[in-house]
Amino acid sequence: MITAERLTKRYGDKTAVDAIDFTVEPGTVTGFLGPNGAGKSTTMRMVMGLDRPSAGSVTVNGRAYRDLPAPLHEVGALLEAKAIHGGRTAYNHLLWMAKSNGIARRRVDEVIDLVGLTDVASKRSGGFSLGMGQRLGIAAALLGDPGVLLFDEPVNGLDPEGIRWIRTLIRSLAAEGRTVFVSSHLMSEMALTADHLLVVGKGRILADTDMNDFIARNSAGYVRVRSPQAGELAERMTGQGWRVERADDGAMAVYGATAEAIGDIAGAHGLYLHELGGVQASLEDAFMRLTEDSVEYHAGVPGAAHAPDSAADQTHLTPAGV
Amino acid sequence: MTITATEEQRVPARSAPDRQRTPRASFGRILDAEWTKIRTVRSTTWTLSLLFVVSVGLTGLICWGVAGDLAAGGTDESPGAFATWGLMFGQIAALVLGVIVASAEYSSGMIRTTLAASPRRWSVLLAKAFALGGLLLVLGTATSVASFLTGNFFLGQEGVGLALDDPGVLRTLFGGGLFLAVLGLFGLGLGMLMRHTAGAVTVGIALIFVLGNLVGLVPGALGEWLTKLMPGNAGGSIAVVESFNPDLLDPWVGFAVFSGETALLLLVAGVLFSRRDA
Repeated sequence: MITAERLTKRYGDKTAVDAIDFTVEPGTVTGFLGPNGAGKSTTMRMVMGLDRPSAGSVTVNGRAYRDLPAPLHEVGALLEAKAIHGGRTAYNHLLWMAKSNGIARRRVDEVIDLVGLTDVASKRSGGFSLGMGQRLGIAAALLGDPGVLLFDEPVNGLDPEGIRWIRTLIRSLAAEGRTVFVSSHLMSEMALTADHLLVVGKGRILADTDMNDFIARNSAGYVRVRSPQAGELAERMTGQGWRVERADDGAMAVYGATAEAIGDIAGAHGLYLHELGGVQASLEDAFMRLTEDSVEYHAGVPGAAHAPDSAADQTHLTPAGV
Repeated sequence: MTITATEEQRVPARSAPDRQRTPRASFGRILDAEWTKIRTVRSTTWTLSLLFVVSVGLTGLICWGVAGDLAAGGTDESPGAFATWGLMFGQIAALVLGVIVASAEYSSGMIRTTLAASPRRWSVLLAKAFALGGLLLVLGTATSVASFLTGNFFLGQEGVGLALDDPGVLRTLFGGGLFLAVLGLFGLGLGMLMRHTAGAVTVGIALIFVLGNLVGLVPGALGEWLTKLMPGNAGGSIAVVESFNPDLLDPWVGFAVFSGETALLLLVAGVLFSRRDA
């Protein structure tokens, strides 16, 4: 459990983190989402006791990080790929960490195995690819079998296989009851991994919400319909009070209706349908709108329409490149 | 490399909180970790090899060169000034090693991992100082002894060799190790303070080697005292049987001054280290 209260970090007259309050609960993946420079990394460094808050406080399991007697047993962190001396072998890097917190040597072998670095454990980490470096960082985070895990932009620069590996790992860590706090600037990534979402912009919390709620509220969904009798169908649908827009390719975008309702209407009037499916507006867009202008967010949530059916949902949520 | 992705998702289940085993990142453990760090990078091997080879090699070379001259009375210098002469150059390696122990943490970003594992910063600094100081004390003493034996071999061939019970000889053998250890700590302080390898090495060399000679140009008693008190001058006397410069502080007094200066530097570095963001 991580608890921040009025947590603030100022650099000169620039406020990087502005009196934020949040709680990261065990057993869930909490996504920490915001554009670059929103204060995510600064916040995570303050959690780890690396940066000193200008005001407010943040605790891990009820204690300031500096007061943890053996921190690696309680908190594991992947703060950035390059927090490793490239001249040291992967094994020795984990070995000194283990020694500092009284962790058994066999646990070093265990985590090396776990992240799949067994073959290169005796190689200097300077020659590692980004993905291997990231795996070493994760091995370091898991070394003390901690109940709280922090991942700062864990998928940055990884190939699809590595991304999937980290995603699954993060999910399974939370499923084991651990507190998992993951930062990212990619909404699509968060949609796939996080249960709970903290959106930050300019050092402030813009949204602290359940992931599903966020998706439902922030996606202006519509149903895409194609029919050889488009004119008649459009009339029928408009008659139901739904908004119908003609798309460039001759299909129609229907707002305010579910795919089922449209299918029923068409069937009732004997109209053919060549295409029918829910389309989720990009969450990336919702996120951009949110962080672009934090004031407007609270005033009105755009497009609180019906969520389209879940199958179509999934296809459109999956980000490109996966 | 091939990585088994999906089937590797088994994270060993968390052992139920075992309250008998209350692990602590005690000072002993942090020291063990810092010692592991020092011995597992090649820069340590390189700098220490350089320290030894340069010190012993140059001492041998100069003694071989001047022994005849000394025996013939062609110079005012005493053989004792040459017996560990190479340390004057080899010591740069000790300074550099000290700097690297601190600055490499910053250039690699590893300081964050270090402080995540041991958030008590004074303990980290102290552990680094112990590990580095201990290592340099042992290797520095070995270097000092080897330099003396090599140099003295050539001096002895011309009949101007020194005996172990000659004044200052035993003190030199151990003094070399002490001086190199404290010099390494001086580098550690600079590295911690500046967090940049090249910058800290430059400032260190300037303070120890360049300024130490330049302040002699300041006229009058001020110049004399500055010369005596500059870290390299004050500390170096303990590592030579006899100094080229007769106006320097007495070896042990000088060493005390140098140690004090180093302690002060480490104190300032430690205060900043514990306050600054990592």
